[in-house]
Amino acid sequence: MNGWFVLAAALAVGTVVVVALPFLRDPAPASDALHELDEAERALLEAQEERDRALAALKELEADHRAGRLSDEDYRSVVGPLRREAAQALRTLDRLEAGTATAESKSG
Amino acid sequence: MIALSVAGVLAIFLLYTSIAGGGTPSVSPSELATRTGEVSLAGRVVGAPTGDAHGAGLRFVLEDIEGAHKKRVTVLYKGSVPDLFRTGRDVVVTGTRRPSGLFVTTPGSMITKCPSKYQAAENPS
Amino acid sequence: MAELGRAALLVTLGLSVYALVAGGLAAWRGKRRLAHSARNALLAAFFSTLVAALVLVAGFVRDDFSLAYVAGHSSEALPLQYKVSAFWGGQEGSLLLWLLVLTGYAALAVWFARKRARDLVVWVTPVFGGIALGFTWLLVAVSSPFETIAAPADGNGLNPSLQNPYMVAHPVFLYLGYVGLAVPFAFAMGALLSGRTDERWIVATRRWTLVAWTALGIGQLLGAHWAYEEVGWGGYYAWDPVENAALIPWLAATAFLHSVMIQEKRGMLRVWNVTLVSLAFCLSLFGTFLTRSGVVSSIHSFTQSAIGPWFLGFIVVAVVFATAMIWLRLPQLRTTAKLESLVSREAAFLYNNLLLVALCLTILWGTAWPMVSEAVRGESVVVGRPYYDFFLRIFGLPLLLLMGIGPLVAWRRASLAGLARAIAWPAGIALATGALLVALGAGSSIPGLIAYTFSAFVLSAIVVEFVRGTAARRALTGESIPTAFGRLVGRNRRRYGGYVVHAAVVLLAIGVAGSSAYDSVAEGRLARGESLAVGGYTLTYRELTERDGPNATEIRAVLDVRRGGDDLGTIAAGKNAYSVEQQVSNEVGIRSDLLTGEDLFVIAEQVRDDGAVVFRVFVKPLVNLIWLAGIVFVLGSLIALWPDAREERRLATRYARADERSETPATT
Repeated sequence: MNGWFVLAAALAVGTVVVVALPFLRDPAPASDALHELDEAERALLEAQEERDRALAALKELEADHRAGRLSDEDYRSVVGPLRREAAQALRTLDRLEAGTATAESKSG
Repeated sequence: MIALSVAGVLAIFLLYTSIAGGGTPSVSPSELATRTGEVSLAGRVVGAPTGDAHGAGLRFVLEDIEGAHKKRVTVLYKGSVPDLFRTGRDVVVTGTRRPSGLFVTTPGSMITKCPSKYQAAENPS
Repeated sequence: MAELGRAALLVTLGLSVYALVAGGLAAWRGKRRLAHSARNALLAAFFSTLVAALVLVAGFVRDDFSLAYVAGHSSEALPLQYKVSAFWGGQEGSLLLWLLVLTGYAALAVWFARKRARDLVVWVTPVFGGIALGFTWLLVAVSSPFETIAAPADGNGLNPSLQNPYMVAHPVFLYLGYVGLAVPFAFAMGALLSGRTDERWIVATRRWTLVAWTALGIGQLLGAHWAYEEVGWGGYYAWDPVENAALIPWLAATAFLHSVMIQEKRGMLRVWNVTLVSLAFCLSLFGTFLTRSGVVSSIHSFTQSAIGPWFLGFIVVAVVFATAMIWLRLPQLRTTAKLESLVSREAAFLYNNLLLVALCLTILWGTAWPMVSEAVRGESVVVGRPYYDFFLRIFGLPLLLLMGIGPLVAWRRASLAGLARAIAWPAGIALATGALLVALGAGSSIPGLIAYTFSAFVLSAIVVEFVRGTAARRALTGESIPTAFGRLVGRNRRRYGGYVVHAAVVLLAIGVAGSSAYDSVAEGRLARGESLAVGGYTLTYRELTERDGPNATEIRAVLDVRRGGDDLGTIAAGKNAYSVEQQVSNEVGIRSDLLTGEDLFVIAEQVRDDGAVVFRVFVKPLVNLIWLAGIVFVLGSLIALWPDAREERRLATRYARADERSETPATT
């Protein structure tokens, strides 16, 4: 009976230590703030996803066409708009990246 | 477009339930007296079963599992008998009540529930 | 020893509360160290739950009958592996297993994600804490595995049907599946709570979802195999509420797996995805509730189980929370991307989703209807097989067809002519197969014939895909066939792994169709020397044997099997009489033909006093394809799961900037 009690106590103490660890290791940090993504960063992330999607779609279109899943006319009708979308996505991304770059250089 | 598909699914569903009905009613022995047609009878086996399920038929008596006024009904069963069947077990059989008061079952329709396990052991036909 | 178990669970309770409250606070106020501390609480919670689990296992192994749970589910004579598996043989133990798997998944998930997307993980932690709190509360206050009693001389023993290798593995896989769905759910809620609308949460949980989904599928196949061999009525699925409880969330998860691909490719269906993952998780909670509380049953009533009301409350909280979060973020989630054409791969995925969800909901309705009917009309009903068969065909057969069409249709806007060209070969092969099957007599079952024809279509479509892909690669790179094939699959693991999984589903469909639409059955009472003929086989009853096994007396009726003129050996079927548990179990005889995949299935229904035996014999064509499908299924999932270095790098660069920022906070 006694043995179990010791084990249980050890478990409880160990748990408290583990939970308190971040505070014990870093008692007086420069900043305790957790950075959340702000609007600009969120927009940047979405733009990156948009670009990846557009580029992947183009790649898949090429692969489909080469493998014969898509006929020449179907390919021609879709590739134009897709390329425009990809170009648009890249432009948006460039703009946003330039924007954050200037913001960073201002604050840094 | 999604709304259309949902409507379509619902239509199929409603069509089916209105044609085929919403399932077989599940009753206990005390509720059986007023019933005609096929029902699913749930009860506890009391007394010793007699007869042969693979011959002329197994006869046993089912009693209400719960309730203050327990009624009993005699069941005539043919077909596969689940391993867990015995006096004191809760079973479900599907069948119809004859005018004589005897409950005659659809062959092979007995299901038993084991008290210590949560799954049904069954022999559906 | 029970005190240690109870103490460990109390510690888990405290940690869950901390993870929920402190984690929530840390996320709300943006406190880095507090968030880290809450994450550590989740890790510690796994450890303390593990201690509790080990205490229970030790109780079983040491035959400690002072633990009521051990006394109720084990006995001295029980073989060791079943003493261990008795852990999850009852309600309290299976709840503990649920919690163990949950804390394990939670710990791993936040550990692996700790460096990335910190602002997402801070919100995921309290969600995990909340779920863990629900289960820990049940274990501590309502249904404890560590209740003690005056130790009896021997325990009650384990139900003989559970003394089977499949029943050792089945619950474990099921729980890895059920609980695993909590991971994408927690990350989805985390994303909503943090206000993020990008697909980070999907990318982070993609593999977790696939693992959980695969485990849940394997768990069900193991359960079906157990039912086939052990319960032995001649079938493998009875549409029992407990069986449906696992199928329903699996169908929702399948829909989710597909719809996230659309969000990834087109950025559409964001609201649908968070709704679907919440539905899948809530359904898995509901499934656990159904199985554990015995609510849906014509015999036991709702109030008999103490955890029933608690569980229902837990589900209501989860549903309300998810709905509230989705409603709150609805404006941000809406996208401008639209479905461009009803004939496109996006549309095919959408139809797939609608069919899967429809099937899921109809099975849910059929399962819940007895309960609802009792509550509303005061009278319970039994929903029979015809209901489920009808809807399985109406929704399942088109789904089968879609599996073949989907991969062949182009994204965005496909022309009907283009589609017709793409499906020409597979459709031709399918029609030819159908005609051949009719000539062979398969016309006896129209649904069966349709299933076979659609299966042929899908299989040839898959083969065409592999062939085309390899040929296209070779045209570009000039590689040899094996190299091109290997590289093709290696570079597109998710796509081709997915195709292999589809092939597994087709094998399953063929196996199910064959064994249910085209089976034969015969029944008869045989004295020694008499024969029974069924499905091309002739069985002659030879003798009755009796043997004393480790914990049961084994009675077997031995029969000679002949087919055509060939002697195929013997088959034995009978019963086991278990001494401790005072129960008799059915032991069926199965002879599997490896070439045709069919099974000869013999049940000794009744052993009479004069030595005659009543036999029931089935011939089930193609049934072994079902089990083969399980192996192919795992193979396909492994291919899809396998880490892809290039893909990882690409995603890493995409999220690197955001991760960097969250690690070194802005000094403004």
